[in-house]
Amino acid sequence: MFRWHTVAFWEWNSIDSNEVCGICQSPFDACCADCKIPGDQCPLLWGKCKHCFHLHCISKWLETNNEGICPLDRQPFEAAT
Amino acid sequence: MSTPSRRRLMKDFKRLQSDPPGGISGAPCSDNIMLWNAVIFGPGDTPFEDGTFKLLLQFDETYPNKPPTVKFVSKMFHPNVYANGELCLDILQNRWSPTYDVAAILTSIQSLLHDPNPNSPANAEAANLYRENRKEYTRRVREIVETSWES
Repeated sequence: MFRWHTVAFWEWNSIDSNEVCGICQSPFDACCADCKIPGDQCPLLWGKCKHCFHLHCISKWLETNNEGICPLDRQPFEAAT
Repeated sequence: MSTPSRRRLMKDFKRLQSDPPGGISGAPCSDNIMLWNAVIFGPGDTPFEDGTFKLLLQFDETYPNKPPTVKFVSKMFHPNVYANGELCLDILQNRWSPTYDVAAILTSIQSLLHDPNPNSPANAEAANLYRENRKEYTRRVREIVETSWES
């Protein structure tokens, strides 16, 4: 054998892969609109409210929005630890 | 050039085409994805019924973290629409959320035609007539429904 090609498949195991990030509308298994490669470089962030977004998407929103509210429930967004 | 806002607007467009809400249509200009033309058909069982109201949506690179500027191009007579066509609608101002897309914006405007809010009037005359003289309000709305077909 001289060479082989490997093909990898991955998905977050913490979330339904069909779900999309409400902010960028891209699947969670894809990256946010600013990134090129999904995965650890473009992680997900859950709020205490259980709503999930790409970290980069929710960070940009919280920088823009003075009240710092969750885009889905309008309550102050606190990252789940 | 592809930017996060432009990529998001392409997704909005795809969603609007694959799963279009009833009574609205919208599309970006062929040479500028940041500028959209939209049409809202007047909801049935309202004085706006059968109207075809054209709107212009202007986005910038802050979308979806900031709402677009939205205005009616067609003449409008509605308690929450200013004389220049701009709207007084909370989700386009202080209740904006980055999870809204073009379909959500147009659907909200459609429901505003259904349920005007006379407590935050942008057109005082329309608000007064809506509250106090529904018959005359309806007559004035029917006038702009007819003009909506012309241009």
